Amino acid sequence: MTPLSENRINFVALLGAIALFLSTIEYMIPKPLPFMRIGLANLPLLIALALLDNKEYILLSFLKFFGQALISGTLFSYVGLFSLVGTFSSALVMKIIYSLFKKRVSFIGVSVGGALSSNIAQLELARHLLFGSTVRFIAPPFLIVGLITSMVLGIFANSFTLSSLWYKNHLAERSDG
Amino acid sequence: MLYQLSGSLTTKVKTCYDSAVKNVKFIDIIIIALALLIIILSLYLIGPLKGNPLVTVSSGGSQWAYDLSVDSTATFSGPVGKTTIEIKDSSVRVVSSDCVNKVCVSAGKISKVGQWIICLPNEVFILIEGSIETGGDVDDTSF
Repeated sequence: MTPLSENRINFVALLGAIALFLSTIEYMIPKPLPFMRIGLANLPLLIALALLDNKEYILLSFLKFFGQALISGTLFSYVGLFSLVGTFSSALVMKIIYSLFKKRVSFIGVSVGGALSSNIAQLELARHLLFGSTVRFIAPPFLIVGLITSMVLGIFANSFTLSSLWYKNHLAERSDG
Repeated sequence: MLYQLSGSLTTKVKTCYDSAVKNVKFIDIIIIALALLIIILSLYLIGPLKGNPLVTVSSGGSQWAYDLSVDSTATFSGPVGKTTIEIKDSSVRVVSSDCVNKVCVSAGKISKVGQWIICLPNEVFILIEGSIETGGDVDDTSF
């Protein structure tokens, strides 16, 4: 395990800061349910798939969870646990989908897959921890909202990565070094 | 000026749409189809919702059931304090709750079978269900 260079740490920190900023934006948007999120804060995680290696990616996932928990004040509560489980399961699934299919999948598929795994993991957690079998009534709206928002996020990530010079530079830098 | 602005905005939106649609890959379609399949399955899991509506409340690992047509109030204790619900004129609402965000209170009244209110911080789940036909005592069920 070689420690990360200062340059790389700064880059991960920048992405983490974007996640923190997007969490703040998201917190200002009223939602019908505490855990029905748009998932704006997942955007850095989505875009970072090709830019970071595994270790850096785990670090960014942790930064995203921590930032979101700080903003919403839910670090040491059930809600924080839900966020933790959702963040890491979606990060894991997104990384797997991306490294498995590479050029055959776009950010839309990765995003939908991530949202799906995050939602299912959170529903499963809610079933065991809080609501028992009544959780089946929450599942459909929860999953439908997740599908729609993750598709929108994926479309945005597709067009962003195509047109952004910043993204292209970092991608080139990564394949060089 | 305004015309120019709206023109460039339209082109922007169009390029965004084009790039998004052109880049959809085969695996994307498969993943979206899988998501739709899971949503349909989850709708099946709810099962039929018929009969006289019952208000079921889950809190702290226990479950209570109330008749929607009988006016009453009830208070439940959870990790952050008390949550009070009121059944009146065949609808349920959360009157007060000790949680921070008060999402459950602002959810307002629910009256149809399948509707629900949740207070996540205080672990209270309120649901209007169709009556279960297996009989048994619905007044004091725990799981």
